[in-house]
Amino acid sequence: MTSGFLSDLPLYASGLLTTLTVSLAGIALSVGTGIVLAAALRSPLLYISLPIRLYVEFTRGAPLMLVLFLIYYGGAQFGLVLNPYVAGVVGLGLYGAGAFAEIFRAGFNAVPKGEIEAADMLGLTPGQAFRHIELPQALGLTLPPSIGQAINLVKESSVLSVITLAELTKVAGTISSITFAVVTPYLTVALLYWAIVESLSRLGFYLERRLAVKGY
Amino acid sequence: MATRTTAISVRGLEKRFGEKTVLNGIDLDIHNGDVLCIIGPSGSGKSTLLRSLAFLDAYDGGDVHVFGRMIGWRETPLGRQRMSAKELADVRRPLGMVFQHFHLWPHMSVIDNVTLSLRLVHGVPRTEAEETGRAMLDKVGLAAFADRRPDSLSGGQKQRVAIARALAVKPKAMLFDEPTSALDPELVGEVLSVMKALAAEGMTMVIVTHEMGFAAHAANRVVFMDGGKIVEEGAPQPMFAAPKSERLSQFLQTWRERAL
Repeated sequence: MTSGFLSDLPLYASGLLTTLTVSLAGIALSVGTGIVLAAALRSPLLYISLPIRLYVEFTRGAPLMLVLFLIYYGGAQFGLVLNPYVAGVVGLGLYGAGAFAEIFRAGFNAVPKGEIEAADMLGLTPGQAFRHIELPQALGLTLPPSIGQAINLVKESSVLSVITLAELTKVAGTISSITFAVVTPYLTVALLYWAIVESLSRLGFYLERRLAVKGY
Repeated sequence: MATRTTAISVRGLEKRFGEKTVLNGIDLDIHNGDVLCIIGPSGSGKSTLLRSLAFLDAYDGGDVHVFGRMIGWRETPLGRQRMSAKELADVRRPLGMVFQHFHLWPHMSVIDNVTLSLRLVHGVPRTEAEETGRAMLDKVGLAAFADRRPDSLSGGQKQRVAIARALAVKPKAMLFDEPTSALDPELVGEVLSVMKALAAEGMTMVIVTHEMGFAAHAANRVVFMDGGKIVEEGAPQPMFAAPKSERLSQFLQTWRERAL
Protein backbone atom coordinates (compact mmCIF):
# COMPACT_ATOMS: atom_id res chain seq x y z
CA MET A 1 0.00 0.00 0.00
CA THR A 2 2.64 2.48 1.10
CA SER A 3 5.00 1.44 -1.64
CA GLY A 4 2.05 1.75 -4.05
CA PHE A 5 1.41 5.29 -2.85
CA LEU A 6 5.06 6.23 -3.30
CA SER A 7 5.16 4.82 -6.79
CA ASP A 8 2.04 6.79 -7.62
CA LEU A 9 3.63 10.07 -6.54
CA PRO A 10 4.74 11.07 -10.06
CA LEU A 11 1.13 10.60 -11.21
CA TYR A 12 -0.16 12.82 -8.44
CA ALA A 13 2.52 15.39 -9.22
CA SER A 14 1.63 15.56 -12.88
CA GLY A 15 -2.07 15.76 -12.01
CA LEU A 16 -1.35 18.58 -9.58
CA LEU A 17 0.68 20.42 -12.21
CA THR A 18 -2.11 20.03 -14.77
CA THR A 19 -4.80 21.21 -12.33
CA LEU A 20 -2.66 24.16 -11.30
CA THR A 21 -1.79 25.35 -14.78
CA VAL A 22 -5.20 24.73 -16.33
CA SER A 23 -6.94 26.49 -13.42
CA LEU A 24 -4.60 29.47 -13.38
CA ALA A 25 -4.84 29.85 -17.15
CA GLY A 26 -8.63 29.54 -16.91
CA ILE A 27 -8.74 32.10 -14.10
CA ALA A 28 -6.53 34.52 -16.05
CA LEU A 29 -8.71 34.11 -19.15
CA SER A 30 -11.95 34.58 -17.21
CA VAL A 31 -10.64 37.63 -15.33
CA GLY A 32 -9.47 39.26 -18.57
CA THR A 33 -12.69 38.42 -20.41
CA GLY A 34 -14.70 39.40 -17.33
CA ILE A 35 -13.20 42.90 -17.32
CA VAL A 36 -14.08 43.38 -20.99
CA LEU A 37 -17.59 42.01 -20.46
CA ALA A 38 -18.14 44.20 -17.38
CA ALA A 39 -17.10 47.28 -19.33
CA ALA A 40 -19.48 46.26 -22.13
CA LEU A 41 -22.32 45.61 -19.66
CA ARG A 42 -22.11 49.26 -18.60
CA SER A 43 -22.44 50.50 -22.16
CA PRO A 44 -25.50 52.70 -22.72
CA LEU A 45 -25.71 51.18 -26.21
CA LEU A 46 -28.23 48.35 -26.06
CA TYR A 47 -26.76 46.48 -29.02
CA ILE A 48 -23.58 46.11 -27.00
CA SER A 49 -24.92 45.54 -23.51
CA LEU A 50 -27.82 43.23 -24.39
CA PRO A 51 -25.85 40.40 -26.10
CA ILE A 52 -23.32 40.54 -23.28
CA ARG A 53 -26.12 40.34 -20.73
CA LEU A 54 -27.49 37.25 -22.51
CA TYR A 55 -24.04 35.67 -22.51
CA VAL A 56 -23.56 36.34 -18.79
CA GLU A 57 -26.98 34.85 -18.03
CA PHE A 58 -26.09 31.78 -20.12
CA THR A 59 -22.87 31.11 -18.24
CA ARG A 60 -24.63 31.64 -14.94
CA GLY A 61 -27.25 29.07 -15.85
CA ALA A 62 -25.21 26.44 -17.66
CA PRO A 63 -23.16 23.89 -15.69
CA LEU A 64 -19.46 23.79 -16.57
CA MET A 65 -19.78 20.23 -17.81
CA LEU A 66 -22.29 21.34 -20.41
CA VAL A 67 -20.02 24.18 -21.56
CA LEU A 68 -17.15 21.70 -21.88
CA PHE A 69 -19.19 19.22 -23.91
CA LEU A 70 -20.22 22.03 -26.23
CA ILE A 71 -16.64 23.17 -26.76
CA TYR A 72 -14.87 19.82 -26.84
CA TYR A 73 -17.38 17.56 -28.59
CA GLY A 74 -19.60 20.19 -30.15
CA GLY A 75 -16.62 22.10 -31.50
CA ALA A 76 -15.25 18.93 -33.09
CA GLN A 77 -18.49 18.54 -35.09
CA PHE A 78 -17.77 21.88 -36.69
CA GLY A 79 -14.15 21.03 -37.36
CA LEU A 80 -12.84 22.83 -34.28
CA VAL A 81 -10.68 20.09 -32.80
CA LEU A 82 -9.09 21.17 -29.54
CA ASN A 83 -6.89 19.10 -27.31
CA PRO A 84 -8.43 18.53 -23.87
CA TYR A 85 -6.04 20.96 -22.23
CA VAL A 86 -6.91 23.88 -24.52
CA ALA A 87 -10.61 23.01 -24.42
CA GLY A 88 -10.36 22.96 -20.62
CA VAL A 89 -8.75 26.37 -20.39
CA VAL A 90 -11.20 27.88 -22.87
CA GLY A 91 -14.14 26.21 -21.11
CA LEU A 92 -13.09 27.42 -17.67
CA GLY A 93 -12.35 30.85 -19.07
CA LEU A 94 -15.67 31.32 -20.87
CA TYR A 95 -17.59 29.81 -17.98
CA GLY A 96 -15.87 31.92 -15.33
CA ALA A 97 -15.98 35.13 -17.36
CA GLY A 98 -19.71 35.59 -16.78
CA ALA A 99 -19.37 35.45 -13.00
CA PHE A 100 -16.34 37.74 -13.03
CA ALA A 101 -18.21 40.18 -15.28
CA GLU A 102 -20.97 40.49 -12.67
CA ILE A 103 -18.43 40.92 -9.87
CA PHE A 104 -16.47 43.61 -11.72
CA ARG A 105 -19.62 45.41 -12.84
CA ALA A 106 -20.52 45.88 -9.19
CA GLY A 107 -16.95 47.06 -8.55
CA PHE A 108 -17.10 49.65 -11.34
CA ASN A 109 -20.42 50.92 -10.02
CA ALA A 110 -18.83 51.43 -6.59
CA VAL A 111 -16.29 53.95 -7.94
CA PRO A 112 -17.80 57.40 -7.30
CA LYS A 113 -18.80 59.25 -10.50
CA GLY A 114 -17.14 62.40 -9.19
CA GLU A 115 -13.73 60.74 -9.45
CA ILE A 116 -14.34 60.29 -13.17
CA GLU A 117 -15.50 63.90 -13.48
CA ALA A 118 -12.25 64.97 -11.80
CA ALA A 119 -10.34 62.88 -14.36
CA ASP A 120 -12.38 64.40 -17.21
CA MET A 121 -11.62 67.90 -15.96
CA LEU A 122 -7.93 67.09 -15.92
CA GLY A 123 -8.03 66.01 -19.54
CA LEU A 124 -7.81 62.24 -19.12
CA THR A 125 -9.45 60.36 -21.98
CA PRO A 126 -12.23 57.92 -21.07
CA GLY A 127 -9.74 55.12 -21.71
CA GLN A 128 -7.15 56.63 -19.38
CA ALA A 129 -9.76 57.19 -16.68
CA PHE A 130 -10.83 53.57 -17.05
CA ARG A 131 -7.33 52.17 -16.85
CA HIS A 132 -5.94 54.40 -14.09
CA ILE A 133 -9.00 55.27 -11.96
CA GLU A 134 -11.82 52.80 -12.43
CA LEU A 135 -10.11 49.49 -13.12
CA PRO A 136 -7.58 49.44 -10.25
CA GLN A 137 -10.27 50.43 -7.77
CA ALA A 138 -12.82 47.98 -9.11
CA LEU A 139 -10.29 45.14 -8.91
CA GLY A 140 -9.29 46.14 -5.37
CA LEU A 141 -12.86 46.53 -4.14
CA THR A 142 -13.94 43.18 -5.54
CA LEU A 143 -10.98 41.19 -4.28
CA PRO A 144 -12.93 39.04 -1.78
CA PRO A 145 -15.61 37.85 -4.23
CA SER A 146 -12.97 37.51 -6.96
CA ILE A 147 -10.87 35.22 -4.83
CA GLY A 148 -14.02 33.23 -4.04
CA GLN A 149 -14.77 32.87 -7.72
CA ALA A 150 -11.17 31.87 -8.47
CA ILE A 151 -11.43 29.16 -5.81
CA ASN A 152 -14.65 27.93 -7.40
CA LEU A 153 -12.88 27.61 -10.73
CA VAL A 154 -10.06 25.56 -9.20
CA LYS A 155 -12.59 23.14 -7.74
CA GLU A 156 -14.73 23.12 -10.87
CA SER A 157 -11.64 22.19 -12.88
CA SER A 158 -12.19 18.65 -11.58
CA VAL A 159 -14.97 18.45 -14.20
CA LEU A 160 -12.27 18.60 -16.89
CA SER A 161 -11.72 14.89 -16.18
CA VAL A 162 -14.79 14.20 -18.34
CA ILE A 163 -12.99 15.49 -21.42
CA THR A 164 -10.12 13.11 -20.60
CA LEU A 165 -7.76 15.74 -19.19
CA ALA A 166 -5.34 14.08 -16.74
CA GLU A 167 -5.83 16.53 -13.92
CA LEU A 168 -6.04 15.62 -10.21
CA THR A 169 -9.51 14.08 -10.20
CA LYS A 170 -8.76 12.06 -13.31
CA VAL A 171 -5.49 10.89 -11.72
CA ALA A 172 -7.33 9.76 -8.60
CA GLY A 173 -9.80 7.82 -10.75
CA THR A 174 -6.99 6.18 -12.74
CA ILE A 175 -5.07 5.16 -9.63
CA SER A 176 -8.24 3.91 -8.02
CA SER A 177 -9.12 1.75 -11.01
CA ILE A 178 -5.64 0.22 -11.10
CA THR A 179 -5.07 -0.35 -7.38
CA PHE A 180 -8.72 -0.73 -6.29
CA ALA A 181 -7.94 1.72 -3.48
CA VAL A 182 -10.58 4.41 -3.18
CA VAL A 183 -10.01 6.33 0.02
CA THR A 184 -6.29 7.00 -0.36
CA PRO A 185 -6.26 8.48 -3.87
CA TYR A 186 -9.38 10.59 -3.43
CA LEU A 187 -8.35 11.87 -0.01
CA THR A 188 -4.90 12.64 -1.37
CA VAL A 189 -6.25 14.77 -4.20
CA ALA A 190 -8.75 16.39 -1.82
CA LEU A 191 -5.79 17.45 0.27
CA LEU A 192 -4.03 18.80 -2.81
CA TYR A 193 -7.12 20.81 -3.87
CA TRP A 194 -7.29 22.17 -0.35
CA ALA A 195 -3.63 23.24 -0.57
CA ILE A 196 -4.30 25.18 -3.77
CA VAL A 197 -7.45 26.78 -2.38
CA GLU A 198 -5.75 27.70 0.88
CA SER A 199 -2.85 29.31 -1.02
CA LEU A 200 -5.30 31.32 -3.10
CA SER A 201 -7.18 32.62 -0.09
CA ARG A 202 -3.95 33.55 1.67
CA LEU A 203 -2.87 35.42 -1.44
CA GLY A 204 -6.26 37.14 -1.33
CA PHE A 205 -5.83 38.21 2.29
CA TYR A 206 -2.36 39.48 1.52
CA LEU A 207 -3.55 41.54 -1.45
CA GLU A 208 -6.54 42.85 0.51
CA ARG A 209 -4.25 44.17 3.21
CA ARG A 210 -1.91 45.73 0.66
CA LEU A 211 -4.61 47.35 -1.44
CA ALA A 212 -6.88 48.35 1.43
CA VAL A 213 -8.46 51.74 0.76
CA LYS A 214 -10.39 53.25 3.60
CA GLY A 215 -12.37 56.38 3.96
CA TYR A 216 -14.86 56.40 1.12
CA MET B 1 -7.97 93.55 -12.98
CA ALA B 2 -6.08 95.95 -15.13
CA THR B 3 -7.75 94.47 -18.19
CA ARG B 4 -11.38 93.47 -18.58
CA THR B 5 -10.88 90.65 -21.03
CA THR B 6 -13.53 87.96 -20.97
CA ALA B 7 -12.63 84.53 -19.64
CA ILE B 8 -16.02 82.86 -19.68
CA SER B 9 -19.21 84.23 -21.16
CA VAL B 10 -22.69 82.84 -20.63
CA ARG B 11 -25.67 83.78 -22.81
CA GLY B 12 -29.29 82.76 -22.33
CA LEU B 13 -28.27 79.58 -20.53
CA GLU B 14 -31.03 77.04 -19.95
CA LYS B 15 -30.94 73.69 -18.27
CA ARG B 16 -33.74 71.27 -17.46
CA PHE B 17 -33.66 68.10 -15.46
CA GLY B 18 -36.73 66.30 -16.77
CA GLU B 19 -39.69 68.60 -16.20
CA LYS B 20 -37.84 70.90 -13.86
CA THR B 21 -36.14 74.01 -15.23
CA VAL B 22 -32.98 74.53 -13.22
CA LEU B 23 -31.40 77.35 -15.20
CA ASN B 24 -33.78 79.80 -16.78
CA GLY B 25 -31.91 82.24 -19.01
CA ILE B 26 -28.60 83.10 -17.39
CA ASP B 27 -26.38 85.86 -18.80
CA LEU B 28 -23.00 86.34 -17.20
CA ASP B 29 -19.54 87.50 -18.17
CA ILE B 30 -16.59 86.39 -16.10
CA HIS B 31 -13.52 88.50 -16.70
CA ASN B 32 -9.90 87.53 -16.33
CA GLY B 33 -8.87 88.24 -12.77
CA ASP B 34 -12.41 88.11 -11.42
CA VAL B 35 -13.08 86.39 -8.14
CA LEU B 36 -16.76 85.77 -8.53
CA CYS B 37 -18.85 84.16 -5.82
CA ILE B 38 -22.20 82.61 -6.67
CA ILE B 39 -24.54 82.57 -3.70
CA GLY B 40 -28.15 81.61 -3.26
CA PRO B 41 -30.46 79.17 -1.52
CA SER B 42 -30.29 75.40 -2.11
CA GLY B 43 -31.86 74.44 -5.41
CA SER B 44 -31.37 77.90 -6.90
CA GLY B 45 -29.26 76.42 -9.69
CA LYS B 46 -25.88 77.77 -8.64
CA SER B 47 -24.02 74.45 -8.73
CA THR B 48 -25.67 73.56 -12.03
CA LEU B 49 -24.53 76.91 -13.44
CA LEU B 50 -20.96 76.25 -12.31
CA ARG B 51 -20.98 72.70 -13.67
CA SER B 52 -22.40 74.00 -16.96
CA LEU B 53 -19.38 76.29 -17.35
CA ALA B 54 -17.26 73.14 -17.65
CA PHE B 55 -20.00 71.14 -19.41
CA LEU B 56 -20.11 68.61 -16.58
CA ASP B 57 -23.84 69.21 -16.92
CA ALA B 58 -24.91 69.54 -20.54
CA TYR B 59 -26.97 72.69 -21.01
CA ASP B 60 -30.09 72.62 -23.14
CA GLY B 61 -30.26 76.18 -24.44
CA GLY B 62 -28.09 79.26 -24.80
CA ASP B 63 -24.35 78.92 -24.78
CA VAL B 64 -21.17 79.06 -22.74
CA HIS B 65 -17.93 80.28 -24.26
CA VAL B 66 -14.69 79.41 -22.49
CA PHE B 67 -11.85 81.66 -23.61
CA GLY B 68 -13.64 82.29 -26.87
CA ARG B 69 -14.71 78.74 -27.69
CA MET B 70 -18.19 77.32 -27.17
CA ILE B 71 -18.02 74.39 -24.79
CA GLY B 72 -19.81 71.09 -25.26
CA TRP B 73 -21.81 71.74 -28.42
CA ARG B 74 -20.94 72.28 -32.04
CA GLU B 75 -23.25 74.24 -34.30
CA THR B 76 -23.90 72.27 -37.48
CA PRO B 77 -26.37 72.82 -40.33
CA LEU B 78 -28.44 70.02 -38.73
CA GLY B 79 -28.51 71.73 -35.35
CA ARG B 80 -26.37 71.29 -32.30
CA GLN B 81 -24.26 68.23 -31.86
CA ARG B 82 -22.21 67.09 -28.95
CA MET B 83 -18.51 67.63 -29.22
CA SER B 84 -16.28 64.59 -29.25
CA ALA B 85 -14.65 63.77 -25.91
CA LYS B 86 -11.35 64.93 -27.37
CA GLU B 87 -12.68 68.30 -28.49
CA LEU B 88 -14.42 68.82 -25.15
CA ALA B 89 -11.19 68.06 -23.29
CA ASP B 90 -9.46 70.62 -25.45
CA VAL B 91 -11.99 73.40 -24.72
CA ARG B 92 -11.93 72.47 -21.03
CA ARG B 93 -8.17 72.56 -20.79
CA PRO B 94 -7.92 76.10 -19.30
CA LEU B 95 -10.46 75.23 -16.57
CA GLY B 96 -9.61 73.71 -13.21
CA MET B 97 -12.35 72.27 -11.03
CA VAL B 98 -12.60 71.72 -7.28
CA PHE B 99 -15.51 69.65 -6.01
CA GLN B 100 -17.45 69.67 -2.76
CA HIS B 101 -16.45 66.08 -2.04
CA PHE B 102 -12.83 66.47 -3.25
CA HIS B 103 -12.96 63.39 -5.48
CA LEU B 104 -9.34 62.50 -4.93
CA TRP B 105 -8.42 59.09 -6.27
CA PRO B 106 -8.11 57.02 -3.09
CA HIS B 107 -5.94 54.24 -4.53
CA MET B 108 -3.02 56.58 -5.33
CA SER B 109 -0.65 58.58 -3.21
CA VAL B 110 -1.14 62.34 -2.88
CA ILE B 111 1.73 63.07 -5.29
CA ASP B 112 0.32 60.62 -7.85
CA ASN B 113 -3.06 62.35 -7.59
CA VAL B 114 -1.39 65.68 -8.31
CA THR B 115 0.85 64.47 -11.14
CA LEU B 116 -1.33 61.92 -12.97
CA SER B 117 -2.65 64.40 -15.55
CA LEU B 118 0.78 65.95 -16.10
CA ARG B 119 2.21 62.52 -16.84
CA LEU B 120 -0.66 61.01 -18.85
CA VAL B 121 -2.18 64.00 -20.61
CA HIS B 122 0.66 66.48 -20.83
CA GLY B 123 3.46 63.98 -21.38
CA VAL B 124 5.67 65.36 -18.62
CA PRO B 125 8.34 62.88 -17.46
CA ARG B 126 7.81 61.54 -13.94
CA THR B 127 10.67 63.36 -12.19
CA GLU B 128 9.71 66.69 -13.70
CA ALA B 129 6.02 66.11 -12.98
CA GLU B 130 6.85 65.31 -9.36
CA GLU B 131 8.86 68.47 -9.08
CA THR B 132 5.84 70.49 -10.26
CA GLY B 133 3.57 68.41 -8.04
CA ARG B 134 5.67 69.04 -4.94
CA ALA B 135 5.73 72.76 -5.72
CA MET B 136 1.91 72.72 -5.92
CA LEU B 137 1.65 70.80 -2.66
CA ASP B 138 4.01 73.30 -1.09
CA LYS B 139 1.72 76.08 -2.26
CA VAL B 140 -1.19 74.56 -0.34
CA GLY B 141 1.00 73.81 2.67
CA LEU B 142 1.11 70.05 2.21
CA ALA B 143 4.60 69.36 0.88
CA ALA B 144 5.19 66.89 3.70
CA PHE B 145 2.15 64.81 2.67
CA ALA B 146 3.25 63.86 -0.85
CA ASP B 147 3.63 60.15 -0.14
CA ARG B 148 0.52 59.75 2.00
CA ARG B 149 -2.72 58.19 0.83
CA PRO B 150 -5.74 60.50 0.67
CA ASP B 151 -7.57 58.37 3.26
CA SER B 152 -5.04 59.40 5.89
CA LEU B 153 -5.79 63.12 5.44
CA SER B 154 -8.38 65.38 7.06
CA GLY B 155 -11.13 66.87 4.91
CA GLY B 156 -9.39 70.22 4.78
CA GLN B 157 -6.14 68.59 3.71
CA LYS B 158 -7.95 66.55 1.05
CA GLN B 159 -9.50 69.68 -0.39
CA ARG B 160 -6.13 71.41 -0.46
CA VAL B 161 -4.67 68.43 -2.32
CA ALA B 162 -7.59 68.68 -4.75
CA ILE B 163 -6.72 72.34 -5.31
CA ALA B 164 -3.05 71.44 -5.88
CA ARG B 165 -4.14 68.73 -8.31
CA ALA B 166 -6.21 71.22 -10.31
CA LEU B 167 -3.41 73.82 -10.27
CA ALA B 168 -0.73 71.40 -11.44
CA VAL B 169 -1.89 71.60 -15.06
CA LYS B 170 -1.80 75.42 -15.04
CA PRO B 171 -5.45 76.36 -15.53
CA LYS B 172 -6.37 79.90 -16.51
CA ALA B 173 -9.55 79.85 -14.43
CA MET B 174 -10.61 77.80 -11.41
CA LEU B 175 -14.13 76.65 -10.65
CA PHE B 176 -15.02 75.79 -7.04
CA ASP B 177 -18.24 73.92 -6.29
CA GLU B 178 -19.00 74.48 -2.60
CA PRO B 179 -15.38 73.72 -1.67
CA THR B 180 -15.93 73.98 2.09
CA SER B 181 -19.46 72.60 2.46
CA ALA B 182 -18.34 69.07 3.28
CA LEU B 183 -15.80 70.18 5.88
CA ASP B 184 -15.92 70.28 9.65
CA PRO B 185 -16.21 73.94 10.71
CA GLU B 186 -12.70 74.08 12.14
CA LEU B 187 -11.22 72.97 8.79
CA VAL B 188 -12.96 75.55 6.62
CA GLY B 189 -10.41 78.29 7.32
CA GLU B 190 -7.37 76.44 5.94
CA VAL B 191 -9.11 75.90 2.60
CA LEU B 192 -10.39 79.47 2.39
CA SER B 193 -6.94 80.89 3.09
CA VAL B 194 -5.46 78.82 0.24
CA MET B 195 -8.20 80.21 -1.99
CA LYS B 196 -7.53 83.76 -0.81
CA ALA B 197 -3.83 83.36 -1.63
CA LEU B 198 -4.79 82.12 -5.07
CA ALA B 199 -7.07 85.11 -5.58
CA ALA B 200 -4.27 87.43 -4.51
CA GLU B 201 -2.10 85.95 -7.26
CA GLY B 202 -4.69 87.07 -9.77
CA MET B 203 -6.24 83.70 -10.56
CA THR B 204 -9.65 83.94 -12.19
CA MET B 205 -12.02 82.14 -9.84
CA VAL B 206 -15.70 81.24 -9.86
CA ILE B 207 -16.87 79.96 -6.50
CA VAL B 208 -20.22 78.55 -5.48
CA THR B 209 -20.27 79.04 -1.74
CA HIS B 210 -22.28 79.42 1.44
CA GLU B 211 -19.40 81.28 3.09
CA MET B 212 -20.78 84.82 3.09
CA GLY B 213 -17.76 86.14 4.95
CA PHE B 214 -15.50 84.85 2.20
CA ALA B 215 -17.78 86.28 -0.49
CA ALA B 216 -17.77 89.64 1.27
CA HIS B 217 -14.02 89.88 1.68
CA ALA B 218 -12.35 87.85 -1.07
CA ALA B 219 -14.67 88.33 -4.03
CA ASN B 220 -14.75 91.35 -6.31
CA ARG B 221 -18.15 90.28 -7.66
CA VAL B 222 -21.07 88.41 -6.21
CA VAL B 223 -23.94 86.84 -8.08
CA PHE B 224 -27.12 86.01 -6.18
CA MET B 225 -29.27 83.30 -7.75
CA ASP B 226 -32.77 82.16 -7.00
CA GLY B 227 -35.14 79.99 -9.01
CA GLY B 228 -32.67 79.38 -11.82
CA LYS B 229 -32.09 83.08 -12.47
CA ILE B 230 -29.58 85.71 -11.49
CA VAL B 231 -31.55 88.00 -9.22
CA GLU B 232 -28.84 90.45 -8.33
CA GLU B 233 -25.16 90.94 -8.96
CA GLY B 234 -22.48 93.44 -8.15
CA ALA B 235 -19.60 94.21 -5.82
CA PRO B 236 -20.02 92.44 -2.47
CA GLN B 237 -19.98 95.36 -0.03
CA PRO B 238 -22.80 97.45 -1.52
CA MET B 239 -24.77 94.31 -2.29
CA PHE B 240 -24.57 92.94 1.23
CA ALA B 241 -25.03 96.36 2.85
CA ALA B 242 -28.01 97.38 0.76
CA PRO B 243 -29.59 94.53 -1.21
CA LYS B 244 -31.89 95.81 -3.95
CA SER B 245 -34.13 92.78 -4.15
CA GLU B 246 -36.45 91.46 -1.47
CA ARG B 247 -35.19 87.92 -2.02
CA LEU B 248 -31.55 88.78 -1.41
CA SER B 249 -32.37 90.73 1.73
CA GLN B 250 -34.38 87.74 3.00
CA PHE B 251 -31.53 85.40 2.15
CA LEU B 252 -28.99 87.59 3.95
CA GLN B 253 -31.34 87.99 6.92
CA THR B 254 -31.63 84.21 7.30
CA TRP B 255 -27.89 83.87 7.09
CA ARG B 256 -27.27 86.57 9.71
CA GLU B 257 -29.75 84.97 12.10
CA ARG B 258 -27.99 81.65 11.70
CA ALA B 259 -24.64 83.27 12.33
CA LEU B 260 -25.73 84.63 15.70
